[in-house]
Amino acid sequence: MNKIGIKINSLNFNYGKKNILNDINLDINQGSIQGIIGPNGAGKSTLLNILVGRLKPTQGDIKILGNDLNINIVKNIGYMPQKNAIYANLNIYENVDFFARMHGLSDKKKRNEIVSQVIETVKLSEYKNQVVYKLSGGMKQRVSLAISLVHEPKILILDEPTVGLDPELRHDFWNNFINLSSKGITILLTTHTMDDAIHCNKLAYMKSGKIIVNKSPEKFLDKNKDIYSLEQAFLKLSK
Amino acid sequence: MSLFDRIIGITSIIVKQLLRDHRSIALIFIAPMIVMSLIGFSFQDQPETLNRTAPAIIATMSLVFVFMLTGVSFLRERLEGTLDRLLVTDTTKIELVFGYLFGFLLFALIQSTIILFFTVYVVSIDYSGRIIDAYIILIILTITSVSLGIFISTFAKNEFQIIQFIPVLISPQIFLSGIFISVEQLPWYFKPLSAIAPLTYANRALRNIMSGYKIEEVIIEIGVLLLFAFILLILAIMSIKRN
Repeated sequence: MNKIGIKINSLNFNYGKKNILNDINLDINQGSIQGIIGPNGAGKSTLLNILVGRLKPTQGDIKILGNDLNINIVKNIGYMPQKNAIYANLNIYENVDFFARMHGLSDKKKRNEIVSQVIETVKLSEYKNQVVYKLSGGMKQRVSLAISLVHEPKILILDEPTVGLDPELRHDFWNNFINLSSKGITILLTTHTMDDAIHCNKLAYMKSGKIIVNKSPEKFLDKNKDIYSLEQAFLKLSK
Repeated sequence: MSLFDRIIGITSIIVKQLLRDHRSIALIFIAPMIVMSLIGFSFQDQPETLNRTAPAIIATMSLVFVFMLTGVSFLRERLEGTLDRLLVTDTTKIELVFGYLFGFLLFALIQSTIILFFTVYVVSIDYSGRIIDAYIILIILTITSVSLGIFISTFAKNEFQIIQFIPVLISPQIFLSGIFISVEQLPWYFKPLSAIAPLTYANRALRNIMSGYKIEEVIIEIGVLLLFAFILLILAIMSIKRN
């Protein structure tokens, strides 16, 4: 039986009187890639914000690797926000090294090994001394991904990680994600892109704060109903 | 070990970022000398006015520049999302504030040194106190200023709004702290406001020290300044929340 990486049970979130998330239930297997897709305002980012401790749920509970979600558990999650959240005046190495240090890696030699390794993972080794504000958007996203990996998390939460990337870079990112998942890392990501959605092991479609359906991308296709692509499936679901 | 390492880590990125921002460095180090020169040459024939004004200008410069730099830097942390990222690491709010504090303290002290030596040796004001005593006042004022900058950044949505706080929070202190007219000469209805302005105590302490008073003779001013620094430090720590 598969172990559960993230378990979300009867989760509700209200903002004032408005119900943003409504009875969310989701089990994500350890080492799998779960995608969340849906129109703007569906509650995707709110769900991620709860998982990384930025928002407190109104109701319901979340377990990460069997433990209740709290600040100490959140510290072990790798989070890549939509904004890159990196220091523009520092170079790539300094950015990743700084966050490694903040995660408590005080041994300089050990830190150097880990930092160099994650920079290598995102293929930025030859640019590691370049100041971030001079980098392209895609390279900044790779720095952001490197930072979210630097404390070797078992859970990775990515908010639209490939937005704005060219096809080649998107391919590289997915190679990274698939590689990380094969090492047992559980990945939860939101996306608007069908090219991303197709790579996920499971895909949840969210609408008006609810998960309407959660299954493997292939199961969204149905020749009998003339649904030959994910795009068609989601257009149908959004109506 | 990790606690100090993280504080040093935060301090070092503050220092690195500021050192690479050449305009800010120029602003920190050259602007005070220009202001001091203007004041020095304007009051060349009025040494009493110059002696009264110069210490207050040193304190004011320290307060304004450190407030601006901290406010803008911390606002960037909030807006760019790095603060959110930091708060899911092992870093505590206290480490964050102290990291910032030490980073800006370094620049504030270099700035104060330049102003102090420029004022004493170029503008040639009378100085008969101990330099170290002046530094003690400026260190406490910097703690106040860094904390105020972090706290105020909570209420700003962009860099322009941080600058807008200067006429609200700093300018009244300049007028009420005895730079232009002594606090005793202020109208009665302004005196309570003067009493709650940190700059009033910094100016008085610095002026007295520069005119030869010993540190123990300005212990009340130091005590009040420490109280301001402590309250603002607590407010700064409490104001740090994930967005």
